[in-house]
Amino acid sequence: MRRNVAGLVVVFVGAAVVQLATSNTYLRYVKPGMRWMLLAAGLILIALAVVDVLADTRKKEHADDGHGHHGLPRAAWLLLVPIFALLVVDPPALGADAAQRQSPVAAKPADPKSNSWLANNSRGDAPVALAVRDYSVWAVWEKESMKGRAFTLTGFVTPAKNGTWYVTRIGLTCCVADGTAFMVEARGQAAPPKNQWVTVTGEWAEPTRRADGDVAALTVESITTVPAPANPYE
Amino acid sequence: MTANPTAPPPVDSEPPDAEKKEPAGSSIAFTATLVLLVGLALFGRRIFAGWFTDEGIRTWATMFVGVTVQAIPFLVLGVLLSAALTAFIPPSFFARALPKRPALAVPVASASGVVLPGCECASVPVSAALMNRGVTPAAAIAFLLSAPAINPVVLASTAVAFPGQPKVVAARAVTSLGVSMILGWLFLATGRGASWLRMPKNRHAEGTGKFDVFRSAMLHDFLHAGGFLVIGAAAAATLNVVVPRSWLDHVAGNLLLSVVILGLLAVLLAICSEADAFVAASLTQFSLTAKLAFMVVGPVVDVKLIALQTGTFGPRFAARFAPATFVVAILASLLVGWWLL
Repeated sequence: MRRNVAGLVVVFVGAAVVQLATSNTYLRYVKPGMRWMLLAAGLILIALAVVDVLADTRKKEHADDGHGHHGLPRAAWLLLVPIFALLVVDPPALGADAAQRQSPVAAKPADPKSNSWLANNSRGDAPVALAVRDYSVWAVWEKESMKGRAFTLTGFVTPAKNGTWYVTRIGLTCCVADGTAFMVEARGQAAPPKNQWVTVTGEWAEPTRRADGDVAALTVESITTVPAPANPYE
Repeated sequence: MTANPTAPPPVDSEPPDAEKKEPAGSSIAFTATLVLLVGLALFGRRIFAGWFTDEGIRTWATMFVGVTVQAIPFLVLGVLLSAALTAFIPPSFFARALPKRPALAVPVASASGVVLPGCECASVPVSAALMNRGVTPAAAIAFLLSAPAINPVVLASTAVAFPGQPKVVAARAVTSLGVSMILGWLFLATGRGASWLRMPKNRHAEGTGKFDVFRSAMLHDFLHAGGFLVIGAAAAATLNVVVPRSWLDHVAGNLLLSVVILGLLAVLLAICSEADAFVAASLTQFSLTAKLAFMVVGPVVDVKLIALQTGTFGPRFAARFAPATFVVAILASLLVGWWLL
């Protein structure tokens, strides 16, 4: 790869990373905490390419020693592939398609979080807003404190067989490669369109038994469609 | 791209008159690339409207971009450090810092992996720079393997993922350290002077300013490692989308099988070492030993790393090194799991 072409590619990679970090687009792919690292990495790359091109031009004016103008790795062309993907495909945040590839079963928590605060809310009070991630685990593994209570969950719709559907959120640890789907079976209402973001309110229901484990469930009383949140992950 | 490590890079053998033509050729390539990129930015979505609508492809693209975006800051950190090592630290420093005997330099290099707080993408260029600066390859390999596995960030995230089980953190540190030393010594015993390790080229031209060396090395390393990172990210995204997680449930019961399967899963998923503990913790149907194997294998051998190592040390090195690392990591996990967990 020619040196000035390499500089151009690096500038584009840097600019793409800066653009991701300054808009909220980066939240589709990584955790919010990555913003400053992305910004720094993008600016460093742009600075590197600009300084390199400037220094190279200045050197050429003096004497072309023939060193260092050739032989930049051809593998660098591959860096255009993610640029192409970002510019053309514009990959969305993980949604129902990714969730359908995983099991809706709630894994047993390593350390069951104490949810004794639920005891302070007397039953029959206003519905408690919970993260789908928490509900999907507690509804299975902390049944006693969840029974007979109303909850509010916000997530997207993942349809399954026979009209079953799940209120879903994807949990990230580092980036989308480790995205884990947390799914709550919504009973009693027809499924909204796939990937539609909804807020559902309803009462705890007995989990569905499957061969590979139990799936959290909610008897849905009301569905409101909502816009997708800035950070779609939990 | 260079299969034969002894042959000079083809660009050096070009006839001198090719150089005179460079300005014309290079400005054509430059203009074409610029037009292509700007054109894609402006009209790409309209030209390809309706091409990438399949949900599976879009999920793949999200995974692919996600792995790449996550890795780029660490890669930049890695090439920054490696370029600084190449440009500003004289080889005599490493000669003094490491024991003279390679067999002793290996454990010292393993232990010093603690200081590089990044994931595996950063350690490949840094260890290449270490070899470049005259560090014995066996010690650089030990550093390459230990740095992403035992640094404080990774151990802290492991402690958070396994609350109340400090033995898991201890087991991970001990096993990873052991694996990196064993492979360093193994290389010392079998690979010394072998032709299958392509030594990273020393681009330190005498008489060039230190800053020039720094920016040249950094640009070169970023382009090189970045290209191979893209291959690794594509492989990881493909496997993430194609491999159904449900087949894991059938193997959880058998200790040996589950250790090997989780080891393979770590290779295929290529999760960065700072996050793999959380994924391991979520695989609740598996024994602690199998989870340990997942956390020990992941930072030392995965599809993304294999691609990076192929690019940096040559395909013949990667073809020997990756399987050896995998086997040693699995055996060490079984041993430590039986002992500590």
